[in-house]
Parts: sequence; C-alpha cells; structure tokens
Amino acid sequence: MELSESVQKGLQSLGDQTVLDRCSFPVVVDACFRSLLFSRGDPAVLDLPELKHLDKILLKQIHAAATTFILEAVKHNADKSTISFSLEELTFNTERIETFYTTFQKHKKDLELILSSIGRGPAHIKDVSWRLQYQMKNGQLDKVNEPFYLISLSTETGGASEDVDFSCTAEQLQDLVGKLKDAAKSVEKASQ
Amino acid sequence: MLLVLTEEHREHLSMLPQVEPSVVGEFGRIALEFLRRGTSPKIYEGAARKLGVSVEAVQQGVEGLMFLLMESSKHTISEVDFMDSVLILGFGEELNQVLLQLYQDNKVQIRRILSQLIPSQPAFHQLEWRLDVQLASRSLRQRLVPTVTMRLMLSESEEGQRSTRVLQTDPSTLLHLISTLEAALAAVKTSHSRRILRNIK
Repeated sequence: MELSESVQKGLQSLGDQTVLDRCSFPVVVDACFRSLLFSRGDPAVLDLPELKHLDKILLKQIHAAATTFILEAVKHNADKSTISFSLEELTFNTERIETFYTTFQKHKKDLELILSSIGRGPAHIKDVSWRLQYQMKNGQLDKVNEPFYLISLSTETGGASEDVDFSCTAEQLQDLVGKLKDAAKSVEKASQ
Repeated sequence: MLLVLTEEHREHLSMLPQVEPSVVGEFGRIALEFLRRGTSPKIYEGAARKLGVSVEAVQQGVEGLMFLLMESSKHTISEVDFMDSVLILGFGEELNQVLLQLYQDNKVQIRRILSQLIPSQPAFHQLEWRLDVQLASRSLRQRLVPTVTMRLMLSESEEGQRSTRVLQTDPSTLLHLISTLEAALAAVKTSHSRRILRNIK
C-alpha cells in the first residue's frame, strides 16, 4: 500500500515506544477505530483520561495517520502480510502489529459496510405492496366491471424513500411476474 | 333501463325526422367525428346551407344525436331499451332503425373515447431488466455484488405519455417480489373474488 509522508510520519509516532507506552497504544488504536465507526465526527473521541499526558497536536497527527491507514487497508482488502509488512517498515514491533491487526479484523466488516454505502445508484427497491380492486362504474361509464391491481414499489435512494405507484390489469401483472422470473432464473444460472 | 330525455333534448332531436334518413346517417357520422376530435362550426354551416335549415337547428340536431349516443353507450343499454327510449320521440320506424344501427356500430368506440376522460393513474407498460455485478467502487476496490437493474415504463394517461423509472434490486428482494406478486395474482382466482365478479354485473 502506498502511504503519503504525513501518514508515514504519524504511524511512526504511533509505533514509537518513546511516544506511546504499552498502555496508551491499545487505547489510541481503539479510539481511532471508534472514531471511524461510531463517533460521527465528534472531536471528543480523543479526549480520554489515559491520553491526557500526550501532546494534543501529536495525538491528532497520529489519529489522522492511523485512520487513513485503516481506511486504505479496508479499501484494498489488505491481508495480514501486507499490513504487517507496512507496519514493520514503520518500525512497529511484533506485539503492536498483533494488537493492531486483531482490532482491525474485529471491525473490518463494519468498516466495509460503511464504505459500501458511499456512492450513487438508481433507486433500490425494498418492498412491494399490492391491492386488488374491482371497478364497477365511474363518472363517464357505467358497467365497467373490471378487476385491476394497484401496485406500490417502495424504493430507497441514499436514505430517502419514495413510492412508485401504478395500476395494471391481471394480464399485465402476469407479464411483469414472468419477466421478474426470467431475471431470477438468469441470476441463478450466473451463480452456478 | 330506459333513457330519460329532457324536453330540451327532444326539441333538439325533433329536426331529425324532417330530413332524409341518409342525412341522419351523415349527421351520425359527423357526431362521431366530433366525439373523437371536437366540434368544428364550419361543418354546421356547410350542412345548414345544403339542407336549407338554420345553423342552430343543425347544431342542435347533431349535438342531440351525440348526447343520445353517449348516454346509451355509457349505460350499455340493450337494443330493446334503446328502441323503447327512442319510441318516445315519435320518429318513424326507418329513422329508429338508423339510430339503432348507429348505436350498435359505434358503442364500443364511444366507450373507449369516454374512458379517456376518467382521471387515470400511471399504468404499467413495460419492464426491461438486466443483471449487473458491481466489482469495485471509489471507496472499496474489491467487491462482488450482484444486482438486477430494471427499467419500468409507465404510461401516464391514455394518450401514452410515458414515464420511465430506473430501479435496482438485489437477488433476495427479487425473489420476495416474485412471491408477493404471485400471491396477488392468486387473489383474483379465490372463490371470494369469483363470487363478486360473477354477481356484480
């Protein structure tokens, strides 16, 4: 993985035993993961009593570098050897590499989920509801006497949901279901 | 059921027996054209000149005919009822037959034209689909996500203004959609639905 100079410097401070002692290291690592997953940009995530003795600016540099590294690792789906290799180059000792990697493995799936939600796409169908109605008469015509369906697709785009409503006759619904079944069959074939 | 024709209506139609049955047929054709495309006063003037009657009389005759045909088609009254309703007007047998013929020939068309006046909801027209697999995105470089992308075409009104929506779904939701809609299709075949469809006629 390619890392910029500031990220490398920050990580070196993270691995440096004179900067962070054995107790502070896991706390810092934890805080970095938590800030990615839970804190929603809350600056108080680094305001922990165990870290009071550290220089604030240095802590911020370490935090920025570590979070960048974590996101790059998730983005490229880095395996253990790649991460270990990168961290070794930056003078991490084996124990710190282990601690970092274990925490990384624990949170990897959640980070992937967050990263996958970034991006645009067409409206995603979540559910469908239907109603069968029988039209007897209307303002212009008597004796219509036709059953018809009202279908409502509930879709979601980037958090906002929207309903697509339309009506169709039984034959059209049959046609629609036929096409959906074709799509499902091709998905099955492709997965074999 | 019998049509109830108002005094005014009968007055308007009273000019019909004064002309030949072929002219009544012509009026019928004009009436249908007007139902389809809207009225045009020039035709009234032309007919009035040819027949030697006032423009108003022609207009009332054609409009009366239009209304008669529209009401009959709206209620889909039977031949017998139509004849009975027209009998009240006191026309001759031949005229009645011409009117009946007009009605029967054009009943279906008139119903279709009338149905365009109803407020309509977007109706299903077509669905196209394709299977996609997302391999990577800017934030994640190694992915394997199958999705089914669909284009749903709906027609907004009878004239056929189409609206197109592009939608996406994943394979498990697709299976859920299929099973829900199959249940919907089965609903029209239940004994409850059949009983109602049979009895409300």
